[in-house]
Amino acid sequence: MEDIKAYIESGILELYVLGDLTQAEKVQVEEMASKHPEVKAELDAIEASLEYYASAHAIEPTEKQRHRVLNSLLITFSDDNNFPGRTVDHTPVEDNVVPFNSPKTVNFYKYAFAACLALLIVSVVALLNVYNRLQDSNSTIASLNLQNQRFSNRVNLVDRQLSVFRDTSYKFIKLQGTPHSPASAMMVAWSPVKKKVVIDMATLKLPANDKDHQYQLWAIVNGKPVDLGVFDAALADNEDADMKEMKEVAVPQAFAVTLEPRGGSVNPTMDQMMVIKAI
Amino acid sequence: MSKKHKISLSEEELILALRHREKVGAEALYDMYSASLFGVISRIITDEAIAEDVLQETFVKIWHSFSSYSSEKGRLFTWMVNIARNLSIDKVRSKDFRNHNKNQELENNVTFIDEQKNTVYKPELLGLKDLVQNLKPEQKSILDLVYFKGYTHVEAADELKLPLGTIKTRLRMAIQQLRKNFN
Repeated sequence: MEDIKAYIESGILELYVLGDLTQAEKVQVEEMASKHPEVKAELDAIEASLEYYASAHAIEPTEKQRHRVLNSLLITFSDDNNFPGRTVDHTPVEDNVVPFNSPKTVNFYKYAFAACLALLIVSVVALLNVYNRLQDSNSTIASLNLQNQRFSNRVNLVDRQLSVFRDTSYKFIKLQGTPHSPASAMMVAWSPVKKKVVIDMATLKLPANDKDHQYQLWAIVNGKPVDLGVFDAALADNEDADMKEMKEVAVPQAFAVTLEPRGGSVNPTMDQMMVIKAI
Repeated sequence: MSKKHKISLSEEELILALRHREKVGAEALYDMYSASLFGVISRIITDEAIAEDVLQETFVKIWHSFSSYSSEKGRLFTWMVNIARNLSIDKVRSKDFRNHNKNQELENNVTFIDEQKNTVYKPELLGLKDLVQNLKPEQKSILDLVYFKGYTHVEAADELKLPLGTIKTRLRMAIQQLRKNFN
C-alpha cells in the first residue's frame, strides 16, 4: 500500500497524462492502473483537472472554422469505403455519371470536327477567290504598264518632232518626185546653223524597198553628190514613224534620194533617182 | 457568437457516435472540444491562420485514427489534446514554420494569448480563471511549459534551470492545486 502511495506521489502519473513518458514507461503505468484502482482513480482525477485547465484557457475558433473542419471530416467520410452504409448509395451515383458524360463528349468532338471541316472549305473558297483577283490585278498592271510604255514612247517621239519644228533655224524642203517616180515625195528638214539634216518618216511617200535595196539620201555640194546615209521606206505607214536624223552637211545646193543596193553606194545610181529638190 | 446550435453529448455517447462514424458525432466532437483544443494549439502557434490549419489537421487525425483510442487508457480529451499538441509542435519545428518567422518568445505566449484573445466563457466554468490564478507563479509556469508548450519535463528543467525532481514535484503540486479548486 505504501508502495502505491509512493508511486502516485512520484509524479509519474502526471507525466503520463501530459504525454511525457517513453513507450515502456507508459505500458508500466497502464499496467499499474489496471492492477490498482487507486492509481486509476488518481489518473482520472489528474486528467479531469487538466481538462478543466484547458477549458479555462479555451479559445473559440471562428464560425468559419466549424464548416471547414466538419467539411473536411465529412468529405473524407463519404469517400471512406470502410463505411458500409455509404457504398450502397455511392455506386448508382457513379453509374449515372458515366453514361451521361460519354455521349456528351462524343457529340462535342463530332461538332468540333464538323465545324473545322466547314471552316476549311470556307477558307479554301476564299483563298481561291483571292487568288483569282490577284491574277486579274497582275494582268491589269501588266497591260497598264505596256500602255504606259507606249504612251511615253509616243510622247518622246512627239517631243523630238516638236523640237525640230520649233527650231526656227530649220528649213523644210519638200523633195518632188522625178519622172522615174512621179508619185514620190518626202520632207527634209535642214538647219544651216547646226548643219543637221532630218527626214520625216511619217510623210515619206516612196515605194517600199525590198530586202536587197535601201534608199540613200544625197546632198549636192559644189556639183558633187555627198552621201547623207541610208533609210528604209517599209515603215513609212507606221504611226510610230520617227524623224530620222541623217549625216551633217554644211552648204548643199540640192537634196536627192536614189535607190541603191543595201548599205548604200559611193556614187548615186542616177537612173534610180526617186525625188530631188534644189535649194 | 451563437451557441444555440452547439451539440453536446455525454462522453460515452460521443465515443459511440465516433465509433460508428456518424455525422452527429463529428459535429458534437467539434462543438464540445474545438475551443479547448484551439486554446492549446494557439498557445503553441501564435499565427492564427496556421493555428487554424493545425486545428483542422487535429480533427482530421482524431476522426481517422479514432479506432486507436481506448477509453480504458484514459479520458477522450487527454488523448485528443496529445494529438493537438504533437501536431502543433511538429508544425513549429517544421522548416516551413521557422521560415514564417512569426514566432514569439516562448515565455510570453501564454499571457500574450490571454490578453489578445477573448477566451470563452462557459457558465459552468465561471470563476475558473480566478481559480487558475490561485496557482503559484512557479507552478503555473511549469504547468504551462509542459501542458501548453509541449516541453518535456527534462526540457522544462533545462529551461527553468531547476533539478528534475523539483520540476516533477511542482508539476504535481500544480495539478493538486487545480484539483483542490475544481473538486
